[in-house]
Amino acid sequence: MADQTDVWGQLLTAANAGDARSYARFLQAVTPVLRGVVRAKGGSLGAAECEDVLQEVMLAIHLKRHTWQPDAPVRPWLYAITRYKVVDAFRARGRRIDLPIEDFADVLPAEAGADPTEAADMAKMIGMLDGRSAEIVRKIGMEGAGVAETGQALNMSEGAVRVALHRALKTLAILRERHVK
Amino acid sequence: MKTDDLIRAMAADMDHPRPVTETLLLGLVPALALAAFGLWAGLGFRGDLFAAMLTPLSVMRLVLGLVLGFAALRLALVLARPEGSAQARLWPLAAIAAFAVGLLAWAYLTTPADARQMATLGKSMVTCLVTIPLMSVLPVSSVLYALRQGAPTAPARAGLVAGLTGSGFSAALYALHCTEDSPLFYVTWYGLAIIGVTLVSTLVGARALRW
Repeated sequence: MADQTDVWGQLLTAANAGDARSYARFLQAVTPVLRGVVRAKGGSLGAAECEDVLQEVMLAIHLKRHTWQPDAPVRPWLYAITRYKVVDAFRARGRRIDLPIEDFADVLPAEAGADPTEAADMAKMIGMLDGRSAEIVRKIGMEGAGVAETGQALNMSEGAVRVALHRALKTLAILRERHVK
Repeated sequence: MKTDDLIRAMAADMDHPRPVTETLLLGLVPALALAAFGLWAGLGFRGDLFAAMLTPLSVMRLVLGLVLGFAALRLALVLARPEGSAQARLWPLAAIAAFAVGLLAWAYLTTPADARQMATLGKSMVTCLVTIPLMSVLPVSSVLYALRQGAPTAPARAGLVAGLTGSGFSAALYALHCTEDSPLFYVTWYGLAIIGVTLVSTLVGARALRW
């Protein structure tokens, strides 16, 4: 466990210094663990809705990643965000849950199910973005296009694509909050 | 959208927000400078400022305000982090409050009975109760704004320390104008102004600092 945490810290340090590949690896590494936390708490919600909650947590981690201090351990930081967002997401869905930090230690990592756990809400939220932002999120996210490629396709500069992408993710987080509540 | 797709989109977004400490100081320092300038332009500093700086009881107002401001600022930076709510210890604030109350009791005992009422009410109670909150508006707002850029998991507590940071520093600045040097006056009225500002900031924080 200690080794794993060190790796997370190294990846996040590199990510915060601007290394996109390390950042992707960091997100991929923590996702199964966080999915396990959400599923353990929200079994009755169903897999798709759990995945939705997980995505809410992931967006929060993304938008608040600058609050991690490189000399602090990753786990307490990560779990504090997760706990806050999971409790919030369940409350918004009419459930009160209690999620003590100690519970995080016992959770087994969960992979996405064999059937694609497409989160229905997220698709709806992307539909609520303005056309160009939605296109950018789709191209980069679902089609795996790079920023440069997306810029060419949409006749935008790379810088403009980056700014629009950042805004789109922020807007998504806000839309989700409003939508569920 | 699958979670993997979301991860891809997030990994492509390398726009990195400024660390909260920077945001906080970039807002708070100019806000306090403006509050000081406003005080100087509106009411002026006391004429005997240099002499007053040599009087321990008078300087104590400034020191108390500054100590409160810095203690609260430190806590604000802790509470801006998600794991901060489990780490933040509020006892330094209680210690400062206890010291202020002790000072008040000491002043009460050492002031002759017939002078107590005058020393407590002073001549500028209303000015004090209006000016300190006014001076606090920008500093407190700047701290709340910075906390919003952070990830406070205890919004009400974060609002509380934001209020104490802004009003503590503002009270210290107000001491540059105010000539009431008795702790009976300043612990009472500065304290009341600080409590009022902090109460409002706590309520605002509880709502506005959720994310």
